[in-house]
Amino acid sequence: MGGSKDTLRVLFTVAFFFVSFSHALSFPLKAKGDLERSLEIVHPPQRIVSLVPAVTEELYLLGVGDKIVGVTIYCQRPPEARAKEKVGTVIDVNIEKIIELRPDLVIASPLTDHKQIRKLRRLELRVEIFDAPTDFQGLCEGFLTLSQFVGKEQEAEEVLERTKRKLKAIKKEIEGIAKSLVFVQIGANPLFTADRASFINDLIKCAGGINIASDAKIGIYSREEVIKRNPDTILIVTMGIVGEREKEVWLKYESISAVKNGRIFTVDSYRVCSPTPISFVETVKELARLFHDRH
Amino acid sequence: MITVEDFSCGYRKGIVLKDISFEVKTGEFVGLIGPNGSGKTTFIRAISGLLPPRKGFILLDEKAVGGMGRKELATKVAVVTQSQEATPPFSVEEFVLLGRVPHWGRFQLLETKRDVQMAEKVMALTGISWLRGRRMGELSGGERQLANLARALVQEPDLLLLDEPTAHLDIGHQVQIMHLLKKLNEEGLTIVAVLHDLNLASLYCKRLVLLHKGRLRKVGQPQEVLTEKIINEVYETSIIVREAPGMSLPLVFPVG
Amino acid sequence: MKILSHTGNPQSAIRNPKYYAWIGWIFALIALLLGVVVLSLAVGAVDIPLRKAFFLLTKGQGTPEYAILFEVRLPRILLGFAVGGGLAISGVILQGMFRNPLVEPYTLGISGGAALGVCLNIVVGGADVLGPLATPVCGFVGAAGVIFLVYAISARRGGIRLSRLLLIGVMVSFMASSLIMLVMAVTKTEDLHGIIFWIMGSLEEPNPFLIKAVLIISLIGMLLSFIYAVDLNTLSLGEEEASYLGVEVERVKRAIFIIASLLTGCCVAVSGVIGFVGLVVPHLMRLLVGGDHRVLLVASYISGAAFLILCDTVARVVIAPMELPVGVITGLVGGGLFIFALSRKSYTF
Repeated sequence: MGGSKDTLRVLFTVAFFFVSFSHALSFPLKAKGDLERSLEIVHPPQRIVSLVPAVTEELYLLGVGDKIVGVTIYCQRPPEARAKEKVGTVIDVNIEKIIELRPDLVIASPLTDHKQIRKLRRLELRVEIFDAPTDFQGLCEGFLTLSQFVGKEQEAEEVLERTKRKLKAIKKEIEGIAKSLVFVQIGANPLFTADRASFINDLIKCAGGINIASDAKIGIYSREEVIKRNPDTILIVTMGIVGEREKEVWLKYESISAVKNGRIFTVDSYRVCSPTPISFVETVKELARLFHDRH
Repeated sequence: MITVEDFSCGYRKGIVLKDISFEVKTGEFVGLIGPNGSGKTTFIRAISGLLPPRKGFILLDEKAVGGMGRKELATKVAVVTQSQEATPPFSVEEFVLLGRVPHWGRFQLLETKRDVQMAEKVMALTGISWLRGRRMGELSGGERQLANLARALVQEPDLLLLDEPTAHLDIGHQVQIMHLLKKLNEEGLTIVAVLHDLNLASLYCKRLVLLHKGRLRKVGQPQEVLTEKIINEVYETSIIVREAPGMSLPLVFPVG
Repeated sequence: MKILSHTGNPQSAIRNPKYYAWIGWIFALIALLLGVVVLSLAVGAVDIPLRKAFFLLTKGQGTPEYAILFEVRLPRILLGFAVGGGLAISGVILQGMFRNPLVEPYTLGISGGAALGVCLNIVVGGADVLGPLATPVCGFVGAAGVIFLVYAISARRGGIRLSRLLLIGVMVSFMASSLIMLVMAVTKTEDLHGIIFWIMGSLEEPNPFLIKAVLIISLIGMLLSFIYAVDLNTLSLGEEEASYLGVEVERVKRAIFIIASLLTGCCVAVSGVIGFVGLVVPHLMRLLVGGDHRVLLVASYISGAAFLILCDTVARVVIAPMELPVGVITGLVGGGLFIFALSRKSYTF
């Protein structure tokens, strides 16, 4: 990521602390009602603006990357996406740019400014909003919907087939091994974690872990509670150096088994928070290794 | 012009003026004297209709002050107050012209020719024409007080109320202001002035009203009010009274 | 008084040269405003040569350029005009009434109340009932609620005590922001960004009806406050002095407080909290045209509009295709401009 983009990210992270970390760089898809309605359109869209990094990636997986005319500055994968016209960030888009690109489909996330979405719709652009999926199931469904959308169901099903196979293989491998108690930290001050409704929860489950915060209703979590529940593994989801600093903070609490056994890991937020079916499985594999590797 | 009848008034905390009755006739120049806290400023406020009576009434030209609108009052009574809390963001001329506002209609926004002429005259009269372009914040204390007086006069009042018009002024400006008031009085303006300086009061006022602890202590000509006995008692100090050279007016001296 | 009828030189000063200066300033500011509007139309993330605009206006309907100019940029300019002007005159009125240079439209908790209303709406999901109008409606209800509360607490039998009003306003404002934090702490993350977006303020408003409504309210507020221009002048001498000049001080205070509050409430409800316009524009205009509210109100309205449109333009282009919150620019540009002006000229409030 270039210097100016980093600056920007810092700028926005301050204001959007909760949003950009917890919910983060958003998501793969789960279709909404209005999406299904619009599937009746016969011709697949030819000029797509994707305001969701994961969608951009999935569009490439489906082989319609060339139909994309605009992306956000966070759409970094695959590398080809970086060459596309930038129309803003996940949360703040430039309407002028989008109009100029004359898209026949704009894919937005619930994080996109609602006013901007209403404005685009008022200007008679087709805008579809994709909710964040909360588990692998939703992720696959969303992927399938997107594929129907661009007329690539076949490809999608092949991809899903492959990934499901892989996932099954991983599950088999970790069968019988004791489950690891996991605490996931997303950002610091306040301590923020992945609750039950979060995607990360499912990720941990698939990798043979138990999220100790899965009963939490909101993301803000008390450090005392973490100590009490004594996780075997602590995952710090982070971008950049924050992770190392947070790791040191945890090291003070020696009663936690994760600290005793040196099982504090930092994970790239991009991987965890912005998955496609394929990267989901890859992440599960990696996490499974972290959880169960006895050195 | 003013009839005060059995009048009491005060603020939320308590009664300040008690059972006051007296009268000011048209053309009079009355000096209001008394120690600090005796209710002089409150009396000015009461006459100008800011404080409702607890008891009794004040009539202005046979009409109850409380029943008149502010606008009507402002065309009859002008007040020069003691403390100017704010420095108005105006030039002297703009400041004086504000005195014309009571004569404006509800939706009038611009000065008329007559307003401007009136301001010209009053500034000439008070000798501040040369200051007209100056900002109010740049004036000296004496100039500021002259501007205040000019703003009150431009209201074309029948009655002028002043609260310590000479406070904080040097002797030259004190005399200048008092002379001006005397001249205006001779031209027919009724004046009631709170005066701190008993000697100025004696020299310029036809009649003095001495307030003490919210009550009327003595009303009369300077010779009747400014006696050693009364002043020593009211001010709780010891002064001597001598006659002004060449005049039969009393002057008050502290005994050192 | 006889003395006034025959002393002094009644040389006529019929045409007050002051008025010419005023008219000069107003025209200069209108020219500035027009310049800013043209600039704002001309620049953006997408380049559209201005000379093309006339062509587009006549037969460009349906092209992307037409949409960008007249359906994206123009509505923002109109909203900027209404909100900038509205906040600026609210600032003039309140500073004049309180005789306090630090007062601005948000000091009295109006923005806090509006923000609280919007927060609650987002959390409760009022949008499902009221549709896209939910946010402005709840913002306005919140603002009006605070105005009523502050006024009811500080109004006494003897009238409004301004220092009391100010302190209560500031306290209510703090309480509102604490409540907002409370709401945010227990809110689902999905809803949070809606709140933050709104609090940061923006001139993006998709609903043309709302833009028209704010525009009309803002202009009406301007006209109404103009009626009180002379009263505000007398109030700058102090309340007691003003009543000696025939002003029904309590009535005037009540009226202008309500005008300024409702005006601010409407602006905030639609555009969110855009700070600094209501604080800095009145001061700049006092430096420029003087403290006479008859010209100050008009000058502040025009320049407040120009200022906000300019800031919004800068916010749009400076890191395009992304957009800065307009409050960032109003704070930086406004603060800088004011310090610069203050350092060059003596200024008594």
